[in-house]
Amino acid sequence: MQKKIIYLRDTDSAQQDRINDFYTLFSNELRDANLQEPVQLVKIADIGLYEKGITVKILPENIVYSGIKNTDVKRIVEETIKGNKIIKELLYEKKSKQMRAVLKNCGYIDPESLEDYIAAGGYKALIKVLLEMKPENVVEELKKSGLRGRGGAGYPTWMKWNFARGMNSPEKYVICNGDEGDPGAYMDRSVLEGDPHSVLEGMIIAGYTIGSSKGYFYIRAEYPLAVERVQKAIDQAVSAGLLGNNILGSNFNFELEIRLGAGAFVCGEETALIASIEGKRGTPHPRPPYPSVKGLWGKPTIINNVETLANIPKLIAGGGAKFASVGTEKSKGTKVFALTGKVKNSGLVEVPMGITLREIIFDIGGGILNNRAIKAVQTGGPSGGVIPQEFLDTPVDYENLSKLGSIMGSGGMIAIDETDCLVDLAKFYLKFCVDESCGKCAPCRLGGYQLLRILEKISEGNGELEDLNKLKKISYAMQKASLCGLGQSASNPVFSTIRYFEDEYKKHIVEKKCQAGKCKALIYFKIHPQKCKKCGLCMKNCPSSAILGSREAGYVIDPQKCIKCGVCFDVCKFKAVMKE
Amino acid sequence: MKKLTKEDIMNVDPLKKDLGKSWIKVGMSTCGVAAGADEVYSTLIEESKKRNIEIDIRKCGCQGACSVEPLVEVNVEGLPKVLYGRVTKDVAITILERHVRNKKLLHDYIFEIN
Ligand SMILES: Cc1cc2nc3c(=O)[nH]c(=O)nc-3n(C[C@H](O)[C@H](O)[C@H](O)COP(=O)(O)O)c2cc1C
Repeated sequence: MQKKIIYLRDTDSAQQDRINDFYTLFSNELRDANLQEPVQLVKIADIGLYEKGITVKILPENIVYSGIKNTDVKRIVEETIKGNKIIKELLYEKKSKQMRAVLKNCGYIDPESLEDYIAAGGYKALIKVLLEMKPENVVEELKKSGLRGRGGAGYPTWMKWNFARGMNSPEKYVICNGDEGDPGAYMDRSVLEGDPHSVLEGMIIAGYTIGSSKGYFYIRAEYPLAVERVQKAIDQAVSAGLLGNNILGSNFNFELEIRLGAGAFVCGEETALIASIEGKRGTPHPRPPYPSVKGLWGKPTIINNVETLANIPKLIAGGGAKFASVGTEKSKGTKVFALTGKVKNSGLVEVPMGITLREIIFDIGGGILNNRAIKAVQTGGPSGGVIPQEFLDTPVDYENLSKLGSIMGSGGMIAIDETDCLVDLAKFYLKFCVDESCGKCAPCRLGGYQLLRILEKISEGNGELEDLNKLKKISYAMQKASLCGLGQSASNPVFSTIRYFEDEYKKHIVEKKCQAGKCKALIYFKIHPQKCKKCGLCMKNCPSSAILGSREAGYVIDPQKCIKCGVCFDVCKFKAVMKE
Repeated sequence: MKKLTKEDIMNVDPLKKDLGKSWIKVGMSTCGVAAGADEVYSTLIEESKKRNIEIDIRKCGCQGACSVEPLVEVNVEGLPKVLYGRVTKDVAITILERHVRNKKLLHDYIFEIN
């Protein structure tokens, strides 16, 4: 028989000692009941619930009780541990909000073992496709599934594949877009590193469907481990006969090769990516013609994101209808997000489309660090926007996010709290796009630079109200006239922060104040003479010798020398340093 | 390697993946490696040999809880499958001694992520 185990966890924050009291209570009860030997009592670090009081989980039965009081301990030991009875009032019916489809194998199988992947059900979809399905059947399944591209734009995958399939050309290409340049996003990296064969399988199926015999992995060079594992997977697939000629005894031939991205964000854009593979300078071209008509080396080409391709094997194996049973009306399946920012549990999460932002941030992410108030959520990286906290209950799908002025994007999700300044955030993303602009078209090259200058002016306290109109006008011109998605969407963070947080901009412009204390030109530090205990810690830590005084006379900050780094503010134990 | 056939793929035993009844998996994607998973992995290999603890130690990808890497998952007969986070060299040794050998779970390192 499996031993009983009790997991113990305080899910409320900042009540350090309480858990030890409960540990003692439980130990005593177990000892009194003579159960110390057969039952293990373990304090654990995270139980997957937050702000639900003292919580226990009893294994192997998987019973979860939350909000436990001192007086409940005896009952739990007697009724549940000894009597195998469930106490209904305490029961917490825990449903996992995550749904792992793309990430199912990540962290489960050995990514460097083909055997593992096959044991987990891998390459069964390929067999089904090669031996039982015609290309048009694959397209049909994709259409039923409603799968849309996970690389940003959300274009229906079946349409892309169907265009390329219909093209009459002896040479066609499949490209996997693993450039993943959005700051803060690393979903694709994790899939490539944790389950490379699933992407391979997706690409081979894509090749069969559109009638291509050659595919390229385009992976950014900053992902050496991903490159290594994908190369290993390709080598294994070649020697197992899953790549090469007459795959699995069919008459289908397909080979794969890796190309490294050279560290430019714009090379994630499909036409620039194609130019880069061709050995040309990675700059975009106007579309149409779309790659599915005229792509790599002028031949019909499909480009798909890593996550899109990783969805394919499961979709084919389970059928399109099953895939479509998850999600909202127009957005099907699951989406992987890289949850970062001021959230307690940052990391990768995979959720069904249609889950709310609040569920992602609070139920999975565990809420905001230090229990501060959430202000907004940023999605879509430099091409996306912010969603203020009043819309946290919006179900996440392509349509809803774009209605709110943001985008699904590739899956970056950043929680923003009251200590973050939205002007500063817009400036950060804009600076990224200005740095990454390839310079080919004027709206992006010049417009981005001008937007950034205006934002800098505002954050330095020199803004005028007229600047807000200028920002909107330039943003609009960039959206309409830029050559590629980079310039067209670069102003989104500016647009959306003005849309929801115009007040914050106005505070910077009119009152010359940055409430969050992020814009250095608008804050200054002062030592409160009454609160100061004259310990001298601030002076010791100041990197610019801007703090004058002595242990007798007390301390003051010389505003001329102060570089506003905030170190004194952080080190003061008596909250005597004030930020204004 | 010999070429795989349809039968090789369709008839594979899904249980083969969890070779043996006892195993330890270390998350070795970039997030894990950056947090020190390499060292944890080699510590587990070396120390298990030194201490004569027989257990299958393997690498795996990212489980998602990147803020508490390195992650080590342990499955030992008679105990539930457990995910340890923020594992250091010392914790790794404790896992071998306490969890694998003595079948006692460690306090304060278990993460039940959802
Ligand atoms: C500036 C820019 C950068 C992009 N970066 C990426 C990227 O890193 N990864 C990606 O998959 N798609 C990226 N895209 C989107 C691609 O152009 C393309 O739409 C996508 O790879 C199509 O795949 P999907 O249909 O599977 O989403 C980027 C687009 C733009 C405009």
